[in-house]
Amino acid sequence: MVPVFWLSISQLTGRWRVILITLLAALPVGLAVIVHFAATEDDSFDENFMDILLDGMLVAGIVPLVTMALSTASFGNELEDRTLSFLTLKPIARWQIALPKFLASIAISGPLLIVSGVVAALLGFDGSIKAAAAVGVAVLVGVTAYAAIFTWAGLVTSRPLAFALIYVLLWEGVISTYIDGVNYLSVRGYTLGIMYGINENGFGSLSERVIEFPAAIVGAIVVTMVFSLLGVRRLRRMDVP
Amino acid sequence: MTTNQSHINSEQAGAQPVIDVLSVSKWFGNVVAVNDVTLQVYPGITGLLGPNGAGKTTILHLIAGLARCSDGSVTVLGEPVRDNPDLYKRVGVMSEHEAVYGFYTGRQFVEFAARMHGLKPLKGPVDRAIEMVALGDAQGRSVGTYSRGMRQRIRLAASLVHNPEVLILDEPLNGTDPRQRIEFHETMIRIASEGRTILISSHILEEVETLADRILLMVSGKLAAAGDFRAIRAKLDEQAYKVRVVTTSPRAMASALMAMEEVDSVSVGPEEGELIALSRNVNTLQLSIPRLAQEHGIRLLRVEPLDDSLESIFSYVVER
Repeated sequence: MVPVFWLSISQLTGRWRVILITLLAALPVGLAVIVHFAATEDDSFDENFMDILLDGMLVAGIVPLVTMALSTASFGNELEDRTLSFLTLKPIARWQIALPKFLASIAISGPLLIVSGVVAALLGFDGSIKAAAAVGVAVLVGVTAYAAIFTWAGLVTSRPLAFALIYVLLWEGVISTYIDGVNYLSVRGYTLGIMYGINENGFGSLSERVIEFPAAIVGAIVVTMVFSLLGVRRLRRMDVP
Repeated sequence: MTTNQSHINSEQAGAQPVIDVLSVSKWFGNVVAVNDVTLQVYPGITGLLGPNGAGKTTILHLIAGLARCSDGSVTVLGEPVRDNPDLYKRVGVMSEHEAVYGFYTGRQFVEFAARMHGLKPLKGPVDRAIEMVALGDAQGRSVGTYSRGMRQRIRLAASLVHNPEVLILDEPLNGTDPRQRIEFHETMIRIASEGRTILISSHILEEVETLADRILLMVSGKLAAAGDFRAIRAKLDEQAYKVRVVTTSPRAMASALMAMEEVDSVSVGPEEGELIALSRNVNTLQLSIPRLAQEHGIRLLRVEPLDDSLESIFSYVVER
């Protein structure tokens, strides 16, 4: 598995992709710096900051977009350039191909997004370690669940980016925001639920719209497991070009 | 004992085929890519021939386990090939596509393949594989900078690094120059002489003619002929080929052609000054036509074989 992991890291760290995801991940930090120094006298700062920056920008936008850019490519690019057969013709089980590819996309997007979220939280919540930890853990969970979904998408469709964009915008962005109960089937819902569950006081304004902490953990685990297994199943059954 | 002899002896002795394809079909939606093909491959070099679109790559994908059979079964070394990754310890496959990991050097690419096969230590097998394809001098260069032929060779090295018993090569000579082809032929003959089984596909008759002793001919998704190359070639030589001759003096040229022993018949073509000559010895005919024209003071505008293509040869085999 280790050679496939490092191969995937090399494949996913093309210059333009790294620049793009780094810029995206830097956005919340940049915004937090601006707001931190410009609006510290405003009492409602914390609440607005959390809503706009952490939920609206980081959790609903940056986390899925960065993960999408990496995870859809981990198999999508190999299918497009037809190098996947080079891996599947080796004496290793298909899960030993799928798992390191899944982990490689998390290994790149996870640290970037966690650092982004933690720094933004530290700036926005006056150095609160608990808030930063809550954001860091929640982002890691979100990245992991999204990575499982998008890695699977890279295997089942020839247009994984289009699929992922529609999913993120419609399901995670619109439907999970406006339809009650969809939060239980939404990675965004799990991410916010875990963030709130770890630091209820810091993220009090979320109390009306988050799912229960245990439900968020179970949901994230189920989504990650189900889509990982679906990915391995697809890799075993598909005709490799 | 030559490769061919050992192969034919294996077949005659009723030995277990190394690759056994039994009533295999593969369809994609309404398109039938491979239609009820049964074939066996024994130790030695076997050429899989067919025009583009004949189903060669599809059947090789089925044999390699990259694709699932819609019907029928494939076994390699007596084991089902699909969902059986352990089998790849004994099988090397080089696919048709030239894609490689451009960020690796040639050596890193082969080392990666060796690691995936669990080889330890890497140095010996990697050195041997790179030496086999004569890329020692370029092994430190990025694969992305390789020519098409060099990519083919480094991919071949990666397919050979674990010393497989069975080698499946899809159009391996694409992009190689004549010198590389000769080296490739020598390498394949050496590997086959060690008792290994090599299945090579090509759409170029001459490419396989000098290499394989046994051929499998595929046309339109079906196996059109299989057997000793020379026997099939002899049958093919019975076919009369068409040669198109365009001249300013068609009547004089037709008379001259009809006097030739190699010419079976001459007919007038639709174009002005066009003649169609039928011959069983097209090479001699093509050499003789300019001499005839010179002797009779005839001006030639064009001489070309009309059906000296693999497609026409296969059509002939199928019709028989």
